[in-house]
Amino acid sequence: MKLNPRSIALCAVLTALALGLSTLENLFPVTLIVPLPGVKLGLANIVTVFALYELGAVPALTILAARCLLGGVFAGNLSALLFSLLGGFTAMLVMIVLKHCRGLSVYGVSIGGAAAHNIGQMAAAVITLGNTMVLGYLPFLLAVSLVTGTLTGFVAGLLFRAMRNIHLSH
Amino acid sequence: MTSNSSQPSLRPKPLDALVAAVVIALAVVTALLFYLPKTGGGDQLTLVITVGGQEQSRTPVTQLPDGPVRIEGRGGYTLTLSPSYSDLPFSPEWSVRVSDSDCPGQDCVHTGAISRAGQSIVCLPAQVVISIVSTASDVDAVLG
Repeated sequence: MKLNPRSIALCAVLTALALGLSTLENLFPVTLIVPLPGVKLGLANIVTVFALYELGAVPALTILAARCLLGGVFAGNLSALLFSLLGGFTAMLVMIVLKHCRGLSVYGVSIGGAAAHNIGQMAAAVITLGNTMVLGYLPFLLAVSLVTGTLTGFVAGLLFRAMRNIHLSH
Repeated sequence: MTSNSSQPSLRPKPLDALVAAVVIALAVVTALLFYLPKTGGGDQLTLVITVGGQEQSRTPVTQLPDGPVRIEGRGGYTLTLSPSYSDLPFSPEWSVRVSDSDCPGQDCVHTGAISRAGQSIVCLPAQVVISIVSTASDVDAVLG
């Protein structure tokens, strides 16, 4: 991707969108329906999937890093920064790999990313707590990530369909 | 479109099921690792017996005698603590219960067997608390 004003502006807009989406989903906690602490819809992942396909890996990574850092600043919770960074980057890595698999649709990539996000967050939990007992929670998170991954994949699909007529990143 | 952009296929493909299957397999494997009874090693369980608020003994479960143990409680009551061992799958290989007590309520007997860290048997009349503690950290929850 060329570093022209258009693409810089697009990255900024997507970063703002991701931040807005994570703030939005904090206002409507899924934990009311699924009583598992830490479960989120992962709406910001829609932006990551979109950026990965539309702009490429490097801009998507930049957007992700900016989102995590700014989100940590907004939430005023620096211990959460390690969780979102590790989760986000694990998800990104898996999605970059899965994107190259021709047989996969946006659903497969999104589910893989959601599951990887949970694994990354578990790694952060193991690091901060210094023991592996928390890993017992991983099966539940992985099961939920199947649902949320499918959901965000579906929404990202809607987004791609809508964008076909707009040609945003010319 | 820029050179990097690529359109994903928007309809689910058969291989997507493979990704889902891998995630499910991972969930099942971690679940089995953590929720099957431990076979030796792992965390060290310790049986703590308290009478009248004072700790009487603290024994690793591996060093407990094979037969029943008598506990002299307050008020002249006596409890009999019986360990049991099992080779059955999906049942703890070691557990302990109060098999007999001459206390009036018999709540301690009806509590049944305990086998995991955090579980306890309490006999109020005799003021006896039998609990299993783990040497491993027992973090309940972490809120981000």
